[in-house]
Amino acid sequence: MADLAPDTNPKTVASSRQERSVASSLAARLGNLLSMPALALLSAFVLGAVVIWVTSGQFVTVLEAYSGLVRGAFIKQRGFSESLVAMVPYVFLSLAVALGFKAGLFNIGVEGQFYVGAISAAWAGQALAGLPAIVHLPLALLAGAVGGAIWAGIPGYLKARTGAHEVISTMMMNYVAFRLAEFVVSGPLRDRNATAVQTPRISRAAELWSLWDIPNRLAEPLNALGVALLFGFLAWIITRAVRGRREIANSKLQMADGRSQTANGKWQMADGGSQTNSAQDALRNTEYALRTTHYAPLIIAILVAVLSFAALPPLTRLGWPFADQYDRLHIGIFLAVLAAVGVWWLLWKTTIGFELRMVGANPNAARYAGVNITRNIVLGLALSGALAGVAGTVEVLGVSICRCLPLFFSSGYGFDSIAIALLGRNNPFGILASSFLFGAMRNGADLMELNSGVSKYVISLIQALVLLFVAAPAVVRWIYRMRAPRQAEEEAPLTRGWGG
Amino acid sequence: MTSVLQATGITKRFPGVIANSRVDFTLEQGEIHALLGENGAGKSTLMNILYGLYQPDEGQVAINGQPVTIASPHDAIARGIGMVHQHFMLVPPLTVTENIMLGQESVAPLTKALGELAVLDRRSAAARIRELSQRYGLAVDPAAIVGDLPVGAQQRVEIIKALYRQADILILDEPTAVLTPQEADELFVIMRGMVEQGRSIVFITHKLREVFAVADRISVMRDGRMVGTIRPAEATRELLAEMMVGRKVILQVDKAAAQPGAAVLEVEDLHVMDDRQHMTVAGVSLTVRAGEILGVAGVQGNGQTELTEALTGLRRVAAGRVILKGADTTHVPPRQLVEAGASHVPEDRHKHGLVLAFPVRDNLVLCSYYQPPLAQGVRLNYAAIAARAADLVRQFDVRTPGIGTSAGSLSGGNQQKVIVARELSRISEAGANGHAPLLIANQPTRGLDVGSIEFIHRRIVEARDQGAAVLLISAELDEIMSLSDRIAVMYKGHILDTVDARTATREQVGLLMAGVTTEAAHG
Repeated sequence: MADLAPDTNPKTVASSRQERSVASSLAARLGNLLSMPALALLSAFVLGAVVIWVTSGQFVTVLEAYSGLVRGAFIKQRGFSESLVAMVPYVFLSLAVALGFKAGLFNIGVEGQFYVGAISAAWAGQALAGLPAIVHLPLALLAGAVGGAIWAGIPGYLKARTGAHEVISTMMMNYVAFRLAEFVVSGPLRDRNATAVQTPRISRAAELWSLWDIPNRLAEPLNALGVALLFGFLAWIITRAVRGRREIANSKLQMADGRSQTANGKWQMADGGSQTNSAQDALRNTEYALRTTHYAPLIIAILVAVLSFAALPPLTRLGWPFADQYDRLHIGIFLAVLAAVGVWWLLWKTTIGFELRMVGANPNAARYAGVNITRNIVLGLALSGALAGVAGTVEVLGVSICRCLPLFFSSGYGFDSIAIALLGRNNPFGILASSFLFGAMRNGADLMELNSGVSKYVISLIQALVLLFVAAPAVVRWIYRMRAPRQAEEEAPLTRGWGG
Repeated sequence: MTSVLQATGITKRFPGVIANSRVDFTLEQGEIHALLGENGAGKSTLMNILYGLYQPDEGQVAINGQPVTIASPHDAIARGIGMVHQHFMLVPPLTVTENIMLGQESVAPLTKALGELAVLDRRSAAARIRELSQRYGLAVDPAAIVGDLPVGAQQRVEIIKALYRQADILILDEPTAVLTPQEADELFVIMRGMVEQGRSIVFITHKLREVFAVADRISVMRDGRMVGTIRPAEATRELLAEMMVGRKVILQVDKAAAQPGAAVLEVEDLHVMDDRQHMTVAGVSLTVRAGEILGVAGVQGNGQTELTEALTGLRRVAAGRVILKGADTTHVPPRQLVEAGASHVPEDRHKHGLVLAFPVRDNLVLCSYYQPPLAQGVRLNYAAIAARAADLVRQFDVRTPGIGTSAGSLSGGNQQKVIVARELSRISEAGANGHAPLLIANQPTRGLDVGSIEFIHRRIVEARDQGAAVLLISAELDEIMSLSDRIAVMYKGHILDTVDARTATREQVGLLMAGVTTEAAHG
């Protein structure tokens, strides 16, 4: 205690606290945010090392194993891109889990929604053959999302109507989904011409483009148009976001001006206030700003779209860094990043996300504030399921060798993703990082086994330890003698009691 | 008189805060010494030091004139100090006897040799509990399961627990916070009895009325310092309030006569059931007019909670009608009531009033986040939200490090100010839009200190003066008496009577709260 409060004079204590908070609040916040996952990882790897050491009897095996892991994940040929390939479904699935958590829902059924998404995509990928890629690919993705949304929406509806706990119902829906996939693959959707039990190959138009294939894809004008439209749309969003930031800065200035006028807080002031000089100035400024920037995003968007339509196909044909035809990396990786940004935007920048988070953090207060709890429970699970469904879709459209849904489509991604979401602290950008890490571990495990003779299931052990440490931060704090956080962070409960 | 407990020059620092600064405190043999102060004044820190939970950085503690170091609560108990915490330390599924024995288990003599496996001697413990309970008038059944007991009885169990451990010095930390006025009065009688039998009591509170009812001496703390110690005979409520807050406090809310306008809320023969399907509101009819405050007095648990929830759309109405500005709103969801101009300061600020994990900023727009200019379509406009929040924080003097601080890290008083700011600002807005606004406030100042209570009371009266209809529901008789224009007294789900606040007396309303109607009282 003595070193914590060395000052006796109350004034110095107060002022030094202020300085400290100004100087290091940002760094401290970032450090706080990162330290717990980082320490959980470190502890898991150290414990994993101990297990390898003890079971193999020699310390050098640990080095062999971990160096094999690193080489397999990053260094060997296509190692890095294979890590990214494994990362893609992880991102969608753990975003699904995190979105559920934020809405106070523990969607433990992402694996099942992943399967239903895969089924939907396998169907849409071949049933709609003949459509151009610009239509077919989005439709196939949408089909996967809708499939997952419905699969998760059912437990959502049951919870909202009857109070059935989603942990039970989503988990049970998993088994239904596994059997459903088997039935669909071996029955109605079976490819009669193939020897293996699998669905027919999806049409090329529905495939997620491999990176090496992009120049060939862009050679088709319609594909180039699609990409140009997408780029234009992104440019529009980004410029609007930038403009929005500037407006916030402006309005803060105006607020400082207008403050003195509304000090009384009487409602009679509401229409009288705008007559004053500074308010008129503010109005004029805003009008000016609006006139000059209102069309700017649109103009920039059109420019970007036209430029990419004209320049991208010839440029990619001139030189393209991804030539390796055995590289499985596909554009799903970009979709994953977009999805992370999208989930972040939805949760923190929209009224929809505000309601979801409110229901997650305090459903009683949400009801008090007039939020429709029933609708938000169904919506939260359906959105979560849609993301999980897209994960399955991406695997069918971009990764599976047969470009179809085979009978043995085991993934195990779904359960890992709960750990990934927790490791990423349910934050979309944290999830990007933790998904990459888990993807790399999953990918590097084979070479680790080859290199050291250590079973690749040690990776599962390490992942389980990560989950354990992340779920029990008190343990990590105890190991590293850290102090408990002083302020309650915004953290949704993992799950509420079984009573609902 | 001799001092049984004496603390001299106690200083206790926490990171960034000095909780106690050179505090002197003396407890005489056989007195009830009230320790008064606002939340955060340092009362609990001082008591926790005396109970061995904290060690002082500086200063001396003496018991019966002997300097001592109290290293732990165990130590404190051994030296005859017992503490009854505000939040009870009881195990609900165990019996009263088992709870009281816990930590000081007596075992059957024949099995003593078995050590840890010895058989508990519940019978002799129960006999001692019965003896204590008779001696001090602490009625409890030793065989009862603690979880089944009402709050007042659980508190008696806590007191017996301390007496069972032979405490001569009792520290009661805000014992009346969880009690009804009647239960509080019963407690005071018990405290008197204990003092008469030689015990000494430190009584922590922030309610002025109680201090006069029971204390022999009063010490006031503010900002970690001891402001002074006086006797009740020398003190007045105004003086004590000033000592607590550090400035003149207007205890009596200054308000002009009400100018009631049209009826805003009309309730006709309302029936509402509680969670256990009891008809807790059984035929309530009342009318609240624009520009008046209708106070609903009553001991807690007479249907006020269910009445409030039914009126705000949070609970199903079993029968009867609710009419808001001429429109039937009996089965209307909360969102529609909110949009019709109804504001609600809920009884339980943590359950309904706030999302503790959300920043203050989001809590200030909890009901209106989706309305322009706070949102355009589905997009939240954080510039507008921050502007609104900053404005409200300033207007309502919410003490927070910033609008981004989570509501959960504010003190209770400031949390309540956030709710009041949000709801009253919606009233202003409704007024500006030409609606006649309605404020339903249930226990708006529960657990708050004098300064915050004064502030919130003034704001409620201001809202009334601006034309709002106010339905004030409170178990604090003082609050009802000082704010209301008319007083409706609720008893067992009925409105027993409605009286004019200008002519009503405390006694008259108090009798009604106990279920005694005027006719019965005269007859």
